Amino acid sequence: MTTATTNLRPAPFLRRYLTFTWLTLAIAAAIMVFEAFANPSLVVNTLVTGGMWALMAAGLAMVFGVMNIPNFAHGELFLLGSFTAFTVFSPIQEALFEDPSLTWLKVVGPIPGMVASLVIGAIAGVLLEVVLFRPLRRRSREQWVMNTFLLTAGVSVVAINSYRLVVGNDYHGVPGYWTLPPVDVFGVPISVDRLMVLMIAIVTIGLFALFLQRTRLGRAIRAVSQDETGAQMAGIDLNRVFVLTMGISCALAALAGASLLFLFPAYPDVGLQPLYTAWFVVILAGLGNVPGAVVGAFIVALLQNLTIFYVGVGWVDVLPTVFIMLILLFKPSGLFGSAVKGVWEQ
Amino acid sequence: MSATVPKGRLLDVENVEAGYELLQVLWDVSLHVDEGEFVALLGPNGAGKTTTLRTIAGFLKPLDGGISFRGRAIAGAPAHAVSRMGIGYVSESLNLFPAMSVGENLQVGANAVRDKAQIASTLELVFQLFPRLLERRDQLAGTLSGGERKMLAIGRGLMGSPSLLLVDEPSLGLAPMATVATFEALKALRARGVTILLVEQNVNTTLRLVDRAYVLEQGRIVLEGTGEQLLRNPHVQSAYLGI
Amino acid sequence: MIAKAPSPSTRAARLRANRRRIALVAVLVVALVLPFIPPFTGEDYRRWLVGAAFIAAQAVAFDFTAGYINIVNFGFAAFVGLGGYTSGLLAVELGVPPVIGMVVGGFVSGLVGLLTGALTLRLRGIYAAVMAWFVGLALMGIVRNVPELTRGSLGLAVPSLLDSPQNLPYYYVILAMLVVTFGVLTWVVRSRFGLAFRAIGQNLAAAKASGINPTRYLVINFVLSCAFAGWLGGFYAHYYGILTPDVMLTSHTVEVLAIAYIGGRGSLWGAAVVAFPLSIGVEYVKVQFSTLPGVHLVLYGLLLILVMIYRPGGVAGIVQGVDAWIARRRSPAEGASPAA
Repeated sequence: MTTATTNLRPAPFLRRYLTFTWLTLAIAAAIMVFEAFANPSLVVNTLVTGGMWALMAAGLAMVFGVMNIPNFAHGELFLLGSFTAFTVFSPIQEALFEDPSLTWLKVVGPIPGMVASLVIGAIAGVLLEVVLFRPLRRRSREQWVMNTFLLTAGVSVVAINSYRLVVGNDYHGVPGYWTLPPVDVFGVPISVDRLMVLMIAIVTIGLFALFLQRTRLGRAIRAVSQDETGAQMAGIDLNRVFVLTMGISCALAALAGASLLFLFPAYPDVGLQPLYTAWFVVILAGLGNVPGAVVGAFIVALLQNLTIFYVGVGWVDVLPTVFIMLILLFKPSGLFGSAVKGVWEQ
Repeated sequence: MSATVPKGRLLDVENVEAGYELLQVLWDVSLHVDEGEFVALLGPNGAGKTTTLRTIAGFLKPLDGGISFRGRAIAGAPAHAVSRMGIGYVSESLNLFPAMSVGENLQVGANAVRDKAQIASTLELVFQLFPRLLERRDQLAGTLSGGERKMLAIGRGLMGSPSLLLVDEPSLGLAPMATVATFEALKALRARGVTILLVEQNVNTTLRLVDRAYVLEQGRIVLEGTGEQLLRNPHVQSAYLGI
Repeated sequence: MIAKAPSPSTRAARLRANRRRIALVAVLVVALVLPFIPPFTGEDYRRWLVGAAFIAAQAVAFDFTAGYINIVNFGFAAFVGLGGYTSGLLAVELGVPPVIGMVVGGFVSGLVGLLTGALTLRLRGIYAAVMAWFVGLALMGIVRNVPELTRGSLGLAVPSLLDSPQNLPYYYVILAMLVVTFGVLTWVVRSRFGLAFRAIGQNLAAAKASGINPTRYLVINFVLSCAFAGWLGGFYAHYYGILTPDVMLTSHTVEVLAIAYIGGRGSLWGAAVVAFPLSIGVEYVKVQFSTLPGVHLVLYGLLLILVMIYRPGGVAGIVQGVDAWIARRRSPAEGASPAA
């Protein structure tokens, strides 16, 4: 029994698919440069949503790479994050409304909500692993991928509808996090919210990459994704790695939900599009490929924003799917195609 | 329990029965390894040598019987716990991390060790034993040659500073030159006082190398003795040495 | 897994098969007379029966793929909807009779299934599942985005299948469709195709080694399942008389999927039989808690989670277990463990 060797290192990933990766990146960059002159807002939107899709997709890819779980409830962590941020930020927003002179609160006000969503997301992830995946793993690992796929589908349905029962169908959003004047970047005014969200994405992804590359626990996670048996031989406790992996992955998804609250208000189905997009990215980049997921997220965000801008918001589910079908037609193993063919079920 | 354990006894396998779903492989297997000893487990294909190692390493739960390490019962303990207790395991398929560099593979091997100085000195030892690994330190494990991969697997096994190293068929699939190098490394390890339980099919070479050996046939221990005794044993001579 | 020990007498096996056949006929008889047993004599309850038979038939078609070739068609509801819209639009725009439209709907769904399957079924199971989901979402997006044709979320009014405003004739129609779906798919499963499906679903590499061209069989299976989904979607359109893009929602796929897996993967009959009590029970809960939208989906989801963790064989697995237990008690030699 061989585990799929998943690849959490940027260097070999880039090396192996050099031409295809660079070709794609070059096309994407060319479009970006062109659009930057024509529609600066499109570029900003691409970077902002792309950064958050990267958080979603990186977590999704990591959970698949390490635990072989295709998490279909990943979007509900996004919902959890956005609702947590809303709950925490609302009173702060009110305080600001009553006393607009609290400049310091204007600056740090949104942070508690994001931190809270990180923590709650991590807790939810740990619970998912301990309450659901571990009992299933202990009982049987036969047809594991399909079983966990269905299991998480069940979790998603339960989560969405429980939320609907408890919180209701209303939209819970905020008009903006940072009520500060827009910042001028190369002559283009950009809202502080967008700028901050982009910063959050960059910093989080950077820290996440450092964690995976440079720390003992990060290496343990990568080791498990490459060879579970080998990791156990090295004294790595799989259960602890699984808990850690789920916790981080879900915390990232919740942070994405919290950060995008000003664009995506919390409501029962809000997780669907992020989930769909994250899956889209992961399929494009190859399952379990974390750095590929980060790169892919920006490409998909560009694709979506181009579709929204030039075709219409309704087609955002249609055109990217046609695109991915075309890719599969010419390159059956996916855009950055890792070892897909021949590997069936672990 | 520890009262009955002879002094210097490291590993004790007592009347172990083990196997897989619907297929029992080991029948009443008993063996022991003392501190500082180099012991081999020999036998034909399918005799249950690998199963024995897997059972000791905690990847397989024995159906019956006991395994103790330094007097502590370890049968049924999870593999990572067994590894942390000080039993290193170099499997037949090596189980390296192909997308990690040689250096990273070794670092993961020391995952359970917190003492930085100890990690550094073990790393030095590994590079002394296998200078090739030092040359290839930044190369991905997936791109190494067969012999280098064996070296890396043994090196990774050593990084946890085990008191007992289980090594499964290091000569399998290796060119003669690489086989010699691997055996030399094991000899050097033994000289440094590492206790080794080696599984091999290469009976002639192995018996000249080890202190003691067991012969496993169809899941049962059929012979036990020092290397010299077994080399002179008529059954070993006719069945394994072709004399 | 339960390894089937070689049966000492084929007679016992034949008896068991006979017993199963009798049980199925009995279930069918119950389904036939059910609308005349109170409380199902009421129109509301008969509507539930129609819904139960409809979801039962979908679950059978779904399980044909999920349970046999181990591919979860996550866009199943979209294929149902595609058939419904095809048939509905043919009737509205061209006046094609619903009976013909439904068959055409089945063909169209099968065709899209062929395109999807040919592209994705070469890949790992999970890729195929997710890609089917993407295709489903894309289909829903298309239906939403051409309101000139589909009326979008306002809903497309579709002529009825029958003249009668009563539920009873519709019930017998959908029951007949369920029997046809079940019969045809069971027949396929029993043929040499079924053996290949199972072989591929359980072990792709081994199936390849024994000379089976897996992709061909996978695609055949997928297309058949999608075609039945489309045909059943036609019934949905001409029964409810109104179609919105929401018919293609993933949550509908999850409902079907939950029933298929609770019934027991790879059994077909399990899904068909379980659908009745389950969907009627859920309808009951829905009515009782009409102020709580989505409570029925919570139930489906929880049941699915519990089944996945504790009873992966579903109801069919439990029945098989009981069957084996009875057999063991009757002849101890038959159930003896091969290890002994």
